[in-house]
Amino acid sequence: MIDHPYLVIVPASLVLGLAAGYVMHRSDFCMAGMFRDLFLVRRTRMLRMLVLAVVASMVLFESARLLGLLTPYPFPLLGSPSLASPIGGLVFGAGMVLAGGCVVGTLYKLGAGSLLALLALVGLIAGSTLYAEIHPWWSALATATTLFPGKVTLPEILGWSPTPLLAVLVLGGGLLLLRWYRQDGWRREAAAEGYLQPWKAALALALIGLISYLLIGMPLGVTTSYAKLGAAAEATLIPGHFADLAYFQTQSLDYQPPIGDLRVSGGPGPGLDGIAAIQLPLILGIVLGATISALLLHEFRIYLRVPLRQCLSALVGGLLMGLAARMAPACNLWHLLGGLPILAAPSLLFVLGLLPGAWIGTRLLTRLVLRP
Amino acid sequence: MMSNRSAPLIEIDIRGQICPSCLLTTLREVNRYQADLKCGETALQVRTDSREATATIPEAVGNMGYDVTVDKAEGHYLILIQRPLKP
Repeated sequence: MIDHPYLVIVPASLVLGLAAGYVMHRSDFCMAGMFRDLFLVRRTRMLRMLVLAVVASMVLFESARLLGLLTPYPFPLLGSPSLASPIGGLVFGAGMVLAGGCVVGTLYKLGAGSLLALLALVGLIAGSTLYAEIHPWWSALATATTLFPGKVTLPEILGWSPTPLLAVLVLGGGLLLLRWYRQDGWRREAAAEGYLQPWKAALALALIGLISYLLIGMPLGVTTSYAKLGAAAEATLIPGHFADLAYFQTQSLDYQPPIGDLRVSGGPGPGLDGIAAIQLPLILGIVLGATISALLLHEFRIYLRVPLRQCLSALVGGLLMGLAARMAPACNLWHLLGGLPILAAPSLLFVLGLLPGAWIGTRLLTRLVLRP
Repeated sequence: MMSNRSAPLIEIDIRGQICPSCLLTTLREVNRYQADLKCGETALQVRTDSREATATIPEAVGNMGYDVTVDKAEGHYLILIQRPLKP
């Protein structure tokens, strides 16, 4: 008899992280790259596979909901839509392109030995921590611009059942995917050893998201923990200033997980709470999953001779992403493969901001970082 | 048929660098040495640790009419770009 939710949450997060890290490394499933290449080289082959992951998640999540397996619904840590979501998405989009990977791309690349990914991670933690400085007025702005208070998903706002709306979107998405399949196929020719076709990775990530929702009560997310790690450092280094930051006292999570008898709560502060139990094993799992994949292929290498300009770009990109992930709140993984499949309004707005953000990031990258 | 593989190699090493430096640097070098590459005077060898580049570079450079081969060496990939091999 499992009585404490952590007995499920911690091992489940670790195993799901290992699987996600392995899959993403094998197929180089880089979401930052997908959006960047849309603007840089007008190529959408990988972005199409993200559409596949979203459509597959819609089918899986809605089927599980209709079977009564998704509790809580909508999942926790999703607020009502406000101006914070698209602005967060915009800054996040620019940051992920400059960093050369999103919040999870950074983790699987770090697992394979990338120095730039390590710098992006340092930036992510710094940016997430810096957010605490602007939290009072940013949260006031978010509150002042909140639309439909108390409502999270588009079906809730419209007062409709989610099923017909999702059925139309899945049908439309399915027809689009079929058209792409007939045009170019989904198969990608890559000479990398042990390459996993991105369409398989997309389906695997959708399945991993569903298992996370079934066991833990929410899809994959990692970014609150970056603030946590920064908070722990700040509390040690500058305890006087840390004590003044209201953000680190907040409790953003308080929910009843699907398995276990106790409620789970937590926040961005430095304690080992529910957020830490859910996210830290996931982070560790993604990094280790990629390391295992890279070691098995004999591809784990650390290259230190990287141009300084690129190091700065990774650091600044990471910082922008970290800051944006707290402003929005949450990251691309959470919104694209968690919120979007249940039509969460903040996730729809986040993606609306992400696109122009990635365009700005691509312009900055080619003009400032990779100029000849 | 004379093999292009005896042509002097221009090597570029992009290991550890940010995406999409690999593809952009390769395209820039291909354009710079275009004349020599086309007549088989030289070949270009790219060293990369990017798994993604083993898809993007052969696709982009192959579409420009070059012959591209990818080999693995010591934990990274060697992408050889040379003039089209005659059938």
